[in-house]
Amino acid sequence: MASGALEVSVSLKKAVDRFGLTNDVSVVETGCLGPCAVGPVALVYPDGILYENLKPEYSEEIVEEHLLKGRIVERIVHRAKPGEDKIREITQSDFFKKQVKIVLRNCGLIDPVRIEEYIAQDGYGALAKVLTEMTPEEVVDVVKRSGLRGRGGAGFPTGLKWEFCRRADGEPKYVLCNADEGDPGAFMDRSILEGDPHSVIEAMAIAAYAIGARNGYIYVRAEYPLAVKRLSGALEQAREYGLLGRGVLGTAFDFDLEIRMGSGAFVCGEETALMTSIEGNRGEPRPRPPFPANKGLWNKPSLLNNVETYANIPIIILKGSEWYASFGTEKSRGTKVFALAGAVENTGLVEVPIGTPLGEIVYDIGGGVKNKKPFKAAQIGGPSGGCIPKQYLNTPVDYESLAELGAIMGSGGMIIMDDDTCMVDIARFFLEFVQEESCGKCSPCRIGTRRMLEILTRICEGKGEEGDIEKLIELGNTIKDTSLCGLGQTAPNPVLSAIRHFRDEFIAHIRDKRCPAGVCPEIVRAPCQNNCPAGVDIPGYVSLIGEKRYDDALRLHRERNPFAAVCSRVCFHRCEDKCRRQTIDEPVSIRVLKRFMADQEKKIRLPEIRGNEENRRRKVAVIGAGPAGLSCAYFLARLGYRPDVFEAMTEPGGMLVQAIPAYRLPRDILRREIGMIRDMGVHIETGVRLGEDFTLEKLKSIEYEAVFVGIGAPDGIGMSLGGLSNPRCVQAISFLREYNLKGSVPVGKKVCVVGGGNAAIDAARTALRLGADSVRVLYRRTRSQMPAYAEEVAEAQKEGVLFSYLVSPYEIVSSNGGIDGIRCQCMELGEFDKSGRKRPVQNGTEYSMEADQLILAIGQALDTEGLLGGTDIRTGSRNFIEVDPITGQTSVEWIFAGGDAVNGPSSVADAVAGGERGAAGIDLFLTGEDHSFWREEKEVDTCFDPDEDPVEYGRSKLKSLSLIMRKGNFSEVELPWKEPVALKEAKRCLRCEYREREE
Amino acid sequence: MPQVEIDKRTVKVPEGTTILEAARSAGIQIPTLCYLEDIQAIGACRVCLVEVAGAKNLVASCVTPVSDGMKISTKSRRVRTARRTIVELLLSDHEGDCQTCDRNGSCELQSIAKELGIREIHHTGEKHTGVTDSTTPALVRDTGKCVLCRRCVSMCNEVQGVGALFPQDRGFETVVGPAFSSSLESVVCVQCGQCSAACPVGAIGEKNQVQEVWDALDDPDKFVIVQTAPAIRAALGECFGFAPGTLVTGKMVRALRLIGFDRVFDTNFTADLTIMEEGTELLVRLKKALVEKEDVALPQFTSCCPGWIKYAEHFYPELLPNLSTCKSPQQMFGALAKTYLAKKVGKKPEEIVVVSVMPCTAKKFENARPEMNDSSVKDVDIVLTTRELGMLIGETGIDFTSLPDDTMDDPMGKTSSGAADIFANTGGVMEAALRTVYEIVTGSPLPFSGLHVKPIAGLEGVKEASVKIEKTVPEWDFLRGVTLKVAVSHGLGNAKRIIRRIQSGEADYHFIEVMACPGGCIGGGGQPRLTTNAVRKKRIEAIYKEDEGKTLRKSHENPEVTQIYEEFLGSPLGERSHHLLHTSYEARARI
Repeated sequence: MASGALEVSVSLKKAVDRFGLTNDVSVVETGCLGPCAVGPVALVYPDGILYENLKPEYSEEIVEEHLLKGRIVERIVHRAKPGEDKIREITQSDFFKKQVKIVLRNCGLIDPVRIEEYIAQDGYGALAKVLTEMTPEEVVDVVKRSGLRGRGGAGFPTGLKWEFCRRADGEPKYVLCNADEGDPGAFMDRSILEGDPHSVIEAMAIAAYAIGARNGYIYVRAEYPLAVKRLSGALEQAREYGLLGRGVLGTAFDFDLEIRMGSGAFVCGEETALMTSIEGNRGEPRPRPPFPANKGLWNKPSLLNNVETYANIPIIILKGSEWYASFGTEKSRGTKVFALAGAVENTGLVEVPIGTPLGEIVYDIGGGVKNKKPFKAAQIGGPSGGCIPKQYLNTPVDYESLAELGAIMGSGGMIIMDDDTCMVDIARFFLEFVQEESCGKCSPCRIGTRRMLEILTRICEGKGEEGDIEKLIELGNTIKDTSLCGLGQTAPNPVLSAIRHFRDEFIAHIRDKRCPAGVCPEIVRAPCQNNCPAGVDIPGYVSLIGEKRYDDALRLHRERNPFAAVCSRVCFHRCEDKCRRQTIDEPVSIRVLKRFMADQEKKIRLPEIRGNEENRRRKVAVIGAGPAGLSCAYFLARLGYRPDVFEAMTEPGGMLVQAIPAYRLPRDILRREIGMIRDMGVHIETGVRLGEDFTLEKLKSIEYEAVFVGIGAPDGIGMSLGGLSNPRCVQAISFLREYNLKGSVPVGKKVCVVGGGNAAIDAARTALRLGADSVRVLYRRTRSQMPAYAEEVAEAQKEGVLFSYLVSPYEIVSSNGGIDGIRCQCMELGEFDKSGRKRPVQNGTEYSMEADQLILAIGQALDTEGLLGGTDIRTGSRNFIEVDPITGQTSVEWIFAGGDAVNGPSSVADAVAGGERGAAGIDLFLTGEDHSFWREEKEVDTCFDPDEDPVEYGRSKLKSLSLIMRKGNFSEVELPWKEPVALKEAKRCLRCEYREREE
Repeated sequence: MPQVEIDKRTVKVPEGTTILEAARSAGIQIPTLCYLEDIQAIGACRVCLVEVAGAKNLVASCVTPVSDGMKISTKSRRVRTARRTIVELLLSDHEGDCQTCDRNGSCELQSIAKELGIREIHHTGEKHTGVTDSTTPALVRDTGKCVLCRRCVSMCNEVQGVGALFPQDRGFETVVGPAFSSSLESVVCVQCGQCSAACPVGAIGEKNQVQEVWDALDDPDKFVIVQTAPAIRAALGECFGFAPGTLVTGKMVRALRLIGFDRVFDTNFTADLTIMEEGTELLVRLKKALVEKEDVALPQFTSCCPGWIKYAEHFYPELLPNLSTCKSPQQMFGALAKTYLAKKVGKKPEEIVVVSVMPCTAKKFENARPEMNDSSVKDVDIVLTTRELGMLIGETGIDFTSLPDDTMDDPMGKTSSGAADIFANTGGVMEAALRTVYEIVTGSPLPFSGLHVKPIAGLEGVKEASVKIEKTVPEWDFLRGVTLKVAVSHGLGNAKRIIRRIQSGEADYHFIEVMACPGGCIGGGGQPRLTTNAVRKKRIEAIYKEDEGKTLRKSHENPEVTQIYEEFLGSPLGERSHHLLHTSYEARARI
């Protein structure tokens, strides 16, 4: 209804009329078919063609083309995968293929307002069967043996519940149906009631027979008007047909049902509150025991199941418990309907056997995360549930597995989240919901959830305090342990599970006042800036570019990052990933704008320096003249220090000079910015190597008060490969370093590069430029899983680099000391690994290829032992140095570190950030005060009218050197923009940082 | 009989016993807050949580029945931590101005916090917005102090059947109050004050008038007199640490004198007078019905309870003709103090300040009724509850416990009958009336042992009795052979039950005593907290003891009563009586 299905239906009927097909074609309004993302949909039989995204104006075309002429209107046919072209029959679509429809068996197939159609699908056959062939005990027994568990959330064995109620003393007994579906995002019960109401009525009659009841109530929320209407109609029809009322189906069994409408309090989904509400009182839970099976509605034995549970019953009776138990897992039989929502391609209702792996639901049925973003987590079970992070994509979705991970099955809400979701914010959202829906009766739920919400809100606003996480856990656990009803006992779950799986994100909010996902408005000035490791004021300099104030723009950039020109060429621009402009068309081309800005610089200008005599006299050493070390020196110099930088290689620049090829970063550009740092009073000494020429202790002994270690991750990582010691097999990092520093390196004719990161691409493109006949990159995963920067991969391909995916070399074939070829195993994608990607596994086939040089680009490492020598600095994962995330301080108080030596191989911007942190940390350590004045937010005085509509044109294209011009040289590939292009692009910025100034 | 283990002690209790009851029976104390013995067990506050071996969560002991073999721990670390967190949460949402709160020192939340050793509130945050409602003359509600235990809700709805207070809104915004956030004054509240008597904290209390009393006492131009209701003497002691049921009549009189009242009188005096008027009224109604065959409103209902009167005005306007027209003893006293006594002491009515000490909050409403000024000025000026008298005495620094006994003043209460004393408890007015009416009609004393009408005594909610009149004095011979049927109810919910039976024709009584509060005035809304059934019983025992200790047991034998009729009033239901001692009622909206 929400997406305009009613209008489509009306127009279809009209069209059928107009073409005179009224007698041949019937237009039936059915229940939901599931695929919400593409609704409204229509299924045309007998072909089984599913049309999607219907609009009333398509109706004539469908009728004329398809019904009259038999030609399928391909334009609007449902596709197996978004973007895919093939027309498929509904059952072949990925969305439907893996589903098993038991509960939703009739939804979308029958006309829910016609009982005849239900009966035609064996409807009420189960009721007839139990009334004529089975004793109540037998009915209970079948339900018990089917293994059906309550689909309302807790998963209590349904048959057992029936048995308890059957055995309970007291008259009369009641059969109740919980149709108070309240979880945000869950709507399977509604769909069943709207699409197949008789299945619930039939099941309730069966239940009544089994437990000995004569009356029942369906408690449905008033916000479901269509469900109420269809249910009421169905009840009337059932009565007319003698399926309800006195003497059902001519037997001695009497049963009738009433609808009770609830006003939509979430707590009324709790069984005792639901009953209190039916009784006409304020919907509040009451303590259990006594349990409803003994004392329920009006203190009489009552059986309460939810809609989905009931919808399973008739078919279980008809097909038998063994049939039903053949679906699902040992402990969780049958199927479960999920409401798939959030950042997934195919949203909607899906029904799968219980125990289907989460990844299968997300990727195979759901079509994967929207816009190919990485999967972050699935929130399952709504406000009582929790989130399952990417490392658990193989988890079978069943009651026990979910509980183990801190989520619950709940009523089946499944919200898929990508990297743009802040887990603290999500936790806050769910808590806010339960907090508002708490009935207010018991104190832990009433006050405790409010206190938790206050803490979470504080954290989201950047006002979190040390100890907040512990407080949340403590409060959460107490609320769970002490609340009166299920609402309170599960209310903290979303928070506790978010902390469990995403504690780092909480810490980032609390300690760094950072929201990694770029969501929380109070601490996210603009999502681009938030995602920049160096925290550069992006909207600020972009808007300055727009006003041709290039010097101001550069100055603003260098407030946080000295390497404006360098980064304008090599930055991975994570800023653009979060640019909100992409919700309109495409992100602003921030990096290329920066390139334009940097190109405008005539004479390099030094940034603001706030020095003093004391700092000038202090001795501070920086080890490593890479981006981390140089940034650290830069920021130290801005505070008036005169740090000494020690570099092992012959030229400063670290990876910028050793690894990044000149066609990406011309060397004069790099030298110019290093020159600026020198001009600020930084002394750089090259050719001195830590561990060989000096030690940390030595520095201390000659009165260096603090040392920043920015030694990178300069070593390559090996792999288990036969023949690895062959001299024609080299590490990518050594290969690049040798060429970049010495000007030449041995290159084969047929080169193979192993790996999928940026180093692999750089090595491949370099090898090609140095005369290799062919260069092939071998990667064990798929293209979409490749970590290398997509633009680089595309350029490499253009230049002629070949790519083989899903291969893993295992042996080098060599003769006479040289390499003849490589033997590779073929891989395929198996289960999900901890990174949320499908793991490559050998598929048993293999092949060989010719090669005379092998370049390994598997990863980079740091040999701390050799370098740090006797100084005992704590190292962490993969031997990188551990530091305080805010100050960069290592376990040795006078030693600080940053960049790849801490993070492992990562971006230049990360290294700049590490250097900046280290500088501020060293200053704090030496002076006891924080002087990092550059961190203060600068007011940008550019013009902006928030009421103006965004400019309509899209992202400007990148220009690059023609392929012919690239051949055999290292000329810069990317070409600059002309001023009008840049100015136009700058105006695309939405100025997310803009805030109404408070007067 | 299930056998359970509580804190490693084996306890055997009957089926259906809750864990809390089982623990208490074994002398193991579990703190409670929302639990109200005999009235409410809803498991809302979660303070009484205990750990049951094998149970997933902690359980509320007040609502969880024991089952055989249960292993319960009431003080495990898990329980202590949880309890403490819950109480801290309650405190975090509580307007904690303890120093200036009425309940300072008598607050249950304070005691629990102390008992649990809470020295710091770890989970602070926003507090719900409190609203103070002082629209009624009797009660003040401060929702900022409310801990949502709902004891008041149960009292108002379940016990009293009034329905003025409900939980409203949801979650953290939940408040208890009249529907649609109306003021208490605008709804059916009868101001019985049972809510205030049940409140564990300072969220509902009487409108404190202690300062007004001080102002009157400090005014040299005022002649300030005090009357004390019969129920005070059996309860006031509790304010000073005496056990419930300790009679402190003499000390109370002494204290009032020390405070500076010009005269200390006894409402017993007008209680006796009430019996004369109300008894006569009943006889007149019976005569009209039986002899003159007039259509007269029977049964007659007692009218000394202002909560009941207001309740009838709201819910049963059709029964207003059945209410005795007699004012309550408090109001009779006020009217006479400013006429009869004024003359005797040579004061103008406006110079006299009549202070009442009542076990009741509705009396504050009653004295403010606009028609209660038959003496030409407001008949009763200030009404204090027992609790307020306790505070007043407390403020003087008098050591109440060691005071010598003193006696009331002439001519309004120096002597009074035991019949007046028993006005304090349920069944008492009826018994007092029967003692007099029976004797007037038959000329011989009421044929019950010790003059006590056993069937209508005690805490049964609805009680009835009948007395057959075998022989009569000539004047009342039309009553010969008549069986006088009477009924007694206390707690307004029980009044509703009786009325339903009458209106459905199931019962035909002649005379019905209704008291709004459970147990009668001894369980009044203004009495020291907390009034449980055990406390009620003790107070009732004390009142009967007071009655039995008197030489005068019947109202019509009170010489002061005889004197006032002779000197001032003439005869019961006479003209002056009619003017000063009787009143009328008005129907009120039922919202």
